[in-house]
Amino acid sequence: MPENPGMSRRKLIGLGAATVAATALPDALFRLSSAAAATGPTEGIGYFARFGVTEKMLRDGLSAALSRGADYADLFFQHRVGNSLALEDGEVNRAYASVELGVGVRAVKGDQTGYAYTEDLTPEALVQAAKTAAAIADGPAKPGPKGLKADTSLPSRYPVKTRWEDVRPQQKLPLLSGLNEKVFAADKRITKVNVFFGDEAGAILIADSTGRVVEDLQPMTRLGLSCVAEQDGKKETNGYNVAGRADLGYYSPDRLERIVKEAVSRTVILFEAVQPPAGEMPVVLGAGASGILLHEAIGHGMEADFNRKGISIFADRIGKPVANKFVNIVDEGTIAGARGAINVDDEGNPVGKTMLVENGILTTYLHDSISAKHYKVKPTGNGRRESYAYAPVPRMRATYMLPGPHKKDEIVASVKKGIYCTNFTNGQVQIGAGDFTFYVKNGYLIEDGKLTTPIKDVNIIGNGPKVLEKIDMVADDLVIDEGGWTCGKDGQSVPVSQGIPTVRVASITVGGRGKQA
Amino acid sequence: MAQQDMLAAAHAAVKSALGKGAQEASARTYRVREVEVKWRDGSLEKVHEATTRGLGLTLYVDGRYSNVSTSDLRPEALETFIGDSVTLTRALAKDPFRTLPDPKLYEGQAKVDLLLEDPKYATVTPEMRRAVAKEIEAAARSVQGAKSILSVTTGFSDTLAESWRVSSNGFSGSRRDTQFWVSAEVSVKDPDGRKPEDYAFGGSRFVGEMPKAGEIGRDAAARALSRLGAKKGESAVLTMAVENRAAGRLPAYLLGPLSGGALQQKRSFLEGKLGQAIASPALTLVDDPLVPKGFGSRLFDGEGIAAKRMPIVEAGVLKSYFIDTYYGKKLQMAPTTGGPSNVVWTLGDKDQAALLAAMKEGILVTGFLGGNSNGLTGDFSLGVQGFRVRGGRIAEPVGEMNISGNHLEFWKKLAAVGNDPYPYSSMKTPTLVFEGVQFAGT
Repeated sequence: MPENPGMSRRKLIGLGAATVAATALPDALFRLSSAAAATGPTEGIGYFARFGVTEKMLRDGLSAALSRGADYADLFFQHRVGNSLALEDGEVNRAYASVELGVGVRAVKGDQTGYAYTEDLTPEALVQAAKTAAAIADGPAKPGPKGLKADTSLPSRYPVKTRWEDVRPQQKLPLLSGLNEKVFAADKRITKVNVFFGDEAGAILIADSTGRVVEDLQPMTRLGLSCVAEQDGKKETNGYNVAGRADLGYYSPDRLERIVKEAVSRTVILFEAVQPPAGEMPVVLGAGASGILLHEAIGHGMEADFNRKGISIFADRIGKPVANKFVNIVDEGTIAGARGAINVDDEGNPVGKTMLVENGILTTYLHDSISAKHYKVKPTGNGRRESYAYAPVPRMRATYMLPGPHKKDEIVASVKKGIYCTNFTNGQVQIGAGDFTFYVKNGYLIEDGKLTTPIKDVNIIGNGPKVLEKIDMVADDLVIDEGGWTCGKDGQSVPVSQGIPTVRVASITVGGRGKQA
Repeated sequence: MAQQDMLAAAHAAVKSALGKGAQEASARTYRVREVEVKWRDGSLEKVHEATTRGLGLTLYVDGRYSNVSTSDLRPEALETFIGDSVTLTRALAKDPFRTLPDPKLYEGQAKVDLLLEDPKYATVTPEMRRAVAKEIEAAARSVQGAKSILSVTTGFSDTLAESWRVSSNGFSGSRRDTQFWVSAEVSVKDPDGRKPEDYAFGGSRFVGEMPKAGEIGRDAAARALSRLGAKKGESAVLTMAVENRAAGRLPAYLLGPLSGGALQQKRSFLEGKLGQAIASPALTLVDDPLVPKGFGSRLFDGEGIAAKRMPIVEAGVLKSYFIDTYYGKKLQMAPTTGGPSNVVWTLGDKDQAALLAAMKEGILVTGFLGGNSNGLTGDFSLGVQGFRVRGGRIAEPVGEMNISGNHLEFWKKLAAVGNDPYPYSSMKTPTLVFEGVQFAGT
């Protein structure tokens, strides 16, 4: 699944061959050095006390950020330890680890943002960065917060029994080796297997100029399995991957079995697969990963920064009908253990459930603090960032469609000539024109209401609002996909989830090159 | 940390790793200063300014391998990190193919100044960045039809990147380079309710050689306005011209499967094709790391191997793979270099207008949207937009279309290569013309 770097700024990719560093630790691998001269806990500072972060440091940093007259400022501290292991040619013979430690300072004046960051967590370096960010404004200093108040109301959407930093590599190795053996045992045509296992122990602390201080511990794990099969001199490759904010217990026997079964079946079926014809036709999207449609067709266009600037195709459409009345589309961060779950967003705002489309009516944009202020609404908890090196912008979390009135079988049976899509690698959208694509890795032709020949490697292209209108059947079988989706926007990547019930799009362009039926 | 400290930190990390039980190690430290100014619709939108630094370390411990990185450079934290990394590595399976490169490959670095660093970097001021961004917006709003413009976002960014690399078997190297980029994004209002957007950007290694602000602004606005009224065309097999700016995606799909990793893992449609025709005779590509001021230029690659020019495709015949030390050993092939630097094309003699005139009927693709390419089978399917070409000239805009094919057939249908290499990328693609391409639309 190669993803192309390109210039595109809003795209969604599946867990490809990313060699992103991440990994595990024997007893206390990659924890903190003893250098962490904590001065005792102060308001809201738990985890980060070990780095010498104090209440005074937060107040001084915020005051410096407001020293040129910004309306608002925040500090975003982050410590993220990533570990990954990879299996190739039968052995777990490579490990990658990364430690990210830094703090970003944002100063906001109106809708203008000054941003700076440093990896040096000393009071001096923080004040220096804060003064750099402060220069977005050019006026008399505003006072910093009088006192700091810890926000202790956070939910617990990803509790873990054991933090990843306490898991030894020896505990993870059998997972990879076991999958390798099972895949080879599952089908004689398999010739190569690659397994990637990644985990993260992340911690963030946000302090803002209203005095709010909030900390969150954010675990993540991903596992990807990719295989190559050979038959009659032909080769095919495919795979399966899963991700969630969870601990080692995530890898239940059921889940591991599913990973093997899906990876193998998705690969070997490609020997029979053909290209669908080119052109417009009805497309049925299978429950689960087809949520990529929502991410591209509407999700990005509903991010309020694009609407605040008037450049989204959905700008000025709030309150208007955009789809059939049985279409309900949600973005939420509350699904326990999901890759797109968060207890708090990266601006410190609470995270709930946001209705993008309710009974076919366009309802709510996805907001960060800046856009919420612009629209005079409460932030929706969508202010997210890749790391301390970036200012937050409105981003999706878990985007999906609620169940509808139809049945899957009824939907497939309704199509005379079309395709049914199940697996995807990536998608992309143009915010203003509304055109979007997603790349189908597996699916079937539908002929006379029945699934027939498998299909592969075909891109689908449509226009967001037009396609929403053309969703004319929605089944009752909602699935939130368990895949390791990563969303890219403005050069920042964040983890997301997506889901959908089986739906029918009455007509959309399929970029095939097969024979016209 | 000062410059000598970052080099010293790399040396110290290697020494520390060896002291903790690694037999071989290489370390890379980096420091990057980046400033970006965004300007939107008459006012400053965002200023992003930071200096980032970090350390990466490759470890070879008792026949085992790992690659680790950290931004926490406090001396005590670093010592703990290296110790933990060695411990982690020991938990893995042995891999007899993992070693540092043969030191002989470090030798013979080109004795040239690649002109990658502008000594005037530090003269760029906040006022200049803002003034240029403002000028770009003014230019965008000066074009004919500007009253359809909804929003203009422009930007100026500059970067000074420094890195140091040390390997325990004798390599030591460093580099400093600068880049300056300007950009514009323009959204316009289409009477049909859409808000088509397009962009323009350009950059250089030297501040004095940046593209003209006015040209970038006018180009972005003209491109966005040219999208007004774009419609989906009919599904058909047509000749396709690809604008130089957009074309870089296509050769990138050839280069990926040329890597040693793809070959050894049996995931390459170009496996076993060395010496064979994989494209029409119109295709000749050279990997040239030594292009003065090039965005992909380097004196040594990511392993320290001295950079050399290397033919990739000559008159359609595949000449080289990208082989690093590890996969070279696994494949029993001599290492070349781990990946492409600058891709230099043998150019044709026509510009875009002349190529379109010769092609007469077809589609000019000016941008891709999503899509993907299967590196094992060569099948690809990509969203496209552009213009219908009629009677040898650009006609109506088309969008929401798709092309698909297989690279092993597609490149044999490369009919012409332009004389207009795109300057703002290491891929340097000219306009390309392919015959018999399957377009999907209505």
